[in-house]
Amino acid sequence: MKLLTVNLGIRLSLAAFLTSAFGSFALCDESKPERTKAQSVQDFLNDYCVDCHNADDVKGNRSFEAIAGEITDEESLVDYQDILDQLNLSEMPPSDAEQPSSFDRMQAIELLTRQIEQFHAHRKPISTQTVLRRINAREYRNTIRDLLKLDTTIFDPAQDFPRDQTSEHLDNNAEWLVTSSHLLERYLLAADLAISKALLPLEKPIEQTWKFTKNFRQQPEIDNVHGKFNRYEHMTLYDVVGADKPEGAYGPILAFADGVPHDGVYEIRLRAEAVNRSHPYDEAFIGTDRERPFRLGIVPGEQTAGELHLPQPIEPLLAEIELADEPTWYTVRVRLDKGYTPRFTFRNGLMDVRDLWGKLVKKYPEQFDRNPKGIVEVRRAAIVDGKLPQIRIHEIEITGPIFDRWPTASQELLLGDDFSRVAQSGLLSTDEMRSHVQRFASLAYRRPATDSEIEKVMRLIAVRLTSGRSPVEALADGFKTVLCSPNFLYLGENTAGVGGELDQYALASRLSYFLWSSMPDQELIHLAQQGRLADDAELTRQTQRMLSDSRSDAMIDGFLDSWLALRQLGSAPPDRDKFTDYYRHDLAAAMREETDLFFRHLVDENLSLENFIDSNFSFVNRPLANLYGIDAPAGPGFAKVQLNDRRRGGLLGQASVLTVSANGFDTSPVVRGVWMLENFLGTPPSPPPPDVEPLDPDTRGAKTIREQLAMHRNVSTCNECHRKIDPLGFALENYDPIGRWRDRYVRSAKIDSSGELPDGESFTGIQDLKKIMLKREPQFARAMAEKMLAYATGRMMATTDRPAIDKIASSANGTRELIEQVVLSETFRSK
Amino acid sequence: MFPRFQPRRRSFLKAAGISIALPALESASSARASEKQVPPPKRMVCVGNEFGMYPGAFWPEEDGREFALSPLLEPLGKHRDNLTVFSHLDHGLKGGHFAVHTFLTGVKAVEASSMRDGGISLDQRAAEHVGSQTRFPSLTVGSENGLHGGCRMSWTRSGTRVPPIEGPRELFRMLFADTDAASRDRVFDRLDLQGSILDSIRSDANDLARLLNESDKHKLDEFLTSVREVESKLALDRRWQRVAKPKPPIDESDDLGLTRDLPKIYDLIALALQTDSTRVATLEVGGSFAASDLGIKQGYHGLSHHGQVQSNIDLLVQIEHYQVEQFSRFLDKLSSIREPESDGTLLSNTMALFGSGMGNANSHTNSDLPIVLAGGGFAHGQLLELPEQKNRRIPLSNLFVSMLQQFGVETDSFGKSTGTLTGLEMA
Repeated sequence: MKLLTVNLGIRLSLAAFLTSAFGSFALCDESKPERTKAQSVQDFLNDYCVDCHNADDVKGNRSFEAIAGEITDEESLVDYQDILDQLNLSEMPPSDAEQPSSFDRMQAIELLTRQIEQFHAHRKPISTQTVLRRINAREYRNTIRDLLKLDTTIFDPAQDFPRDQTSEHLDNNAEWLVTSSHLLERYLLAADLAISKALLPLEKPIEQTWKFTKNFRQQPEIDNVHGKFNRYEHMTLYDVVGADKPEGAYGPILAFADGVPHDGVYEIRLRAEAVNRSHPYDEAFIGTDRERPFRLGIVPGEQTAGELHLPQPIEPLLAEIELADEPTWYTVRVRLDKGYTPRFTFRNGLMDVRDLWGKLVKKYPEQFDRNPKGIVEVRRAAIVDGKLPQIRIHEIEITGPIFDRWPTASQELLLGDDFSRVAQSGLLSTDEMRSHVQRFASLAYRRPATDSEIEKVMRLIAVRLTSGRSPVEALADGFKTVLCSPNFLYLGENTAGVGGELDQYALASRLSYFLWSSMPDQELIHLAQQGRLADDAELTRQTQRMLSDSRSDAMIDGFLDSWLALRQLGSAPPDRDKFTDYYRHDLAAAMREETDLFFRHLVDENLSLENFIDSNFSFVNRPLANLYGIDAPAGPGFAKVQLNDRRRGGLLGQASVLTVSANGFDTSPVVRGVWMLENFLGTPPSPPPPDVEPLDPDTRGAKTIREQLAMHRNVSTCNECHRKIDPLGFALENYDPIGRWRDRYVRSAKIDSSGELPDGESFTGIQDLKKIMLKREPQFARAMAEKMLAYATGRMMATTDRPAIDKIASSANGTRELIEQVVLSETFRSK
Repeated sequence: MFPRFQPRRRSFLKAAGISIALPALESASSARASEKQVPPPKRMVCVGNEFGMYPGAFWPEEDGREFALSPLLEPLGKHRDNLTVFSHLDHGLKGGHFAVHTFLTGVKAVEASSMRDGGISLDQRAAEHVGSQTRFPSLTVGSENGLHGGCRMSWTRSGTRVPPIEGPRELFRMLFADTDAASRDRVFDRLDLQGSILDSIRSDANDLARLLNESDKHKLDEFLTSVREVESKLALDRRWQRVAKPKPPIDESDDLGLTRDLPKIYDLIALALQTDSTRVATLEVGGSFAASDLGIKQGYHGLSHHGQVQSNIDLLVQIEHYQVEQFSRFLDKLSSIREPESDGTLLSNTMALFGSGMGNANSHTNSDLPIVLAGGGFAHGQLLELPEQKNRRIPLSNLFVSMLQQFGVETDSFGKSTGTLTGLEMA
């Protein structure tokens, strides 16, 4: 079944050009019928298609010779739908072949449409279902967070899981979420870790204070010179964290390298100053902004994960402080996990000081006494005699862990009112344990746990008691067992009655994993319990409630990753030489944030899907505004900005999309064109034919990419797809690999971003293309609806899902309504 | 090019549920220690990179036994007579970066489930044969990072990637860091607990299966299979807990990024083989391999798209030259270690494969893969030129069949193979 489904999915996408957008085009043609003879679909195909699409030739893998004249099965449905779409788009027959009269075309379209409708009306109940679906790593992480009420700022229970496989960028496709022994081993470890973290320590840790006032050792490369220069009296920060070989980008307290003794909130007091914000050097050369306060960041570090002065895999920004120029005390509260130590960073600091030391001394020789030679002397001169922008921290105090409640929420969840007594005695009766297991398993399984399921856990607890564990330890082992059960790891998509309708609890989970990528909350479970969730009004109400909860950020993120392939942002890192700003200002994160905020805004305000194609606003921070060449917002963060220049606006003007569709050092109209067809329009092109000669790019000559591509567009087998791909890519050529506008290539050739779409409509550049696309908004809406329904159900869409997708796309007036319509669809509510 | 495989998924999955090969615990016994006559075990090491080798600097001009070393083969000069270079071998696949992961499997991950052996990779197939005879059936060193997931060379039967060991520090600890007596009790207790948990969740899965339709049941089979496999791993772990790990002849060191760590990783792999901690190792040269650590400013991936610009090609070749040098150093190491109770060196019993799933990065093709095989008891010292014509090409998997047979696996097929590799003889 799987192969068939995948195959159908791919072919559907191929065929998924929208009919309604173009239907009117053919039907409104006013030319008189040249022939009035009623013609069958077969006659039409024989006259206009079979010349190319026959068993011997099979252009585009389609042979229409054998088509029986009626739709007999889903295989032939795919062909019919494909023919209809091509006719509606006027993409077939190709312009150099004999053309049908508009009457013939119209009639064929009508006949095909009717036959397809009839097939859908009479076909058997859906055979496409979501197969038993494992929660993926992302969902596991969120579920553990919500189930055990754990803080996951630093803790990631899924950190060591093998990466989930994706299919067409979807990371929650049930077919592809395979369970292996490697994963199960890690489930065992993660369960142990998560339960221990939630339950322990049983005794409230004592609050402590650590003070650091001297001996601030620096990164080895610059440690010696600071010892001589300031006797380690303060910590000095220079680089931003994105520097290539950073020096002074991370300031750990080496005397506190072991980190905090317990998970919890810690108060950090520090006395710091911004030094040399107004430096005596050329501003562009130094690159920091004289007008803006320096920003101090705090990230966690863990010594066993590697050098504390260098980047580490886990370093979320825990706090950020705008510094005054004179030494001042600041206080922040941050979350730190056991073993993690705070590290200080310079958010808007220098870039690549390792190179800057030398450049500075060379550029301003008169300011340096001697003529230093070699990296050691140069570094010394720049640090001691230079006036480079830097942050200095003079004193640091750390106090904690501070608990706003004890027992913690996690402990209460696991042991309820028994916690304090258990913490004292370690004792629990069997009945007490059973009731804790019953409560916890019912939460974890997202439905009431059965007696037999509970008894199994109780048996394990009994075994553990026999082997000498205390009652609370044995109970904890029982909880771990629950977290390894298939009832927790797989979504139990049970159906109620015939027709494949999900039962209430399954529906609650489907809803919560769609909108939150996590388990249902109490309200959803409560509604499921009362059997009230299947009601349309209730489902809509719940969808709106869940979308207004911050947990729905997971849907924004997860869906953008799956829809636009944004997960790959950063996987082909831009060239450091050419795109310094990308690293200096952490543009990858900013790009991502823009698209997140944009999507979020369209959902919150229920704005039209047209905004994805073009909009007169977006969200930028200062570095992103600079990248776009537009006015920056006043504050340090992101703000909504009006766009008067429509080179930006819509997804196609966003750097996230433009960067993810490039490879980090140059752009290819083919790659971006394919990206557009696959993700934006939902009509992926066929892979190149097997015998095609690959293009071996040659960038030495004066030939532009357009000229190089023209060569293979002259070959008809290539041109069949490239006439669809290349024009879309050409329109984006004005954007460089990180989405900056450019009028010329580096080798000074002027960029020609005009093109002609397969149906003959031409455009001069991206702004023009967006106007054309706006006219074709229904095609976009269909593609987005298809992807969203796939994301929501955890499976590929098949041809038989087409009516549901059409209905969702056509009935949604706005982005939030699109989500609501997905939820209300029969497909979403069925297995 | 290859016979079309007719997918029979349902029947396959049913079979997979019962026939999956688990490490053969009973047969393990301590065969080696007891008798002196037993020949040294066969080993296999597979090294691959993400972007291939620049063809213009890799392929030698002549073929046969007279082949002259090309610029990229020059570092292997010392081992010229103990290696074979193969031309026109590949898997007949396309996909550029998205096909690099097929290097050791011959099938794309998306098609793995329709294959008889689930798209298992060469190294894992060999590891199954080793079973529990060594502490680690196999070691895969690499990274989850890199372009489109990096090299992704090791794949299980269930079509999932073997999670890689991320650097020399982790590898060192696996090989040498022993648990002291006190913590050993805790380890055994943990193993007990995990065993009990597996019992419990297997029972949950069996109960769950009763409520499921056929296709869901097949899906749940993955879980049940995993439970069985983890049980075997626990048994293996329990057994090896009682055996002390070898004493490390070198110190543990920090991870400094793959470029700088490469020599250390090779040394550790050599030690792992020498101490018989494993007989199968795989090394993915991707992920954190940074050109900047070789003093090159441009990125590795960018250079691989050289666009025929000579300065780019020179830098690309410099990076690749370094990788070959390190492989050669590894061969030096293996050939300097004498096998106890035999006349050979470690290299005589180690098949060391070096190559890539990428043929030409500039054109993103996965054909004519750069493939070198050293050691392992084959008659080497040639450039084996295989047919170039479209309908006569030999699948790379044929070489893998020859290697598996040499390793002792009784098989005459692997992936889409059509036989063993003609022209490669035993020494």
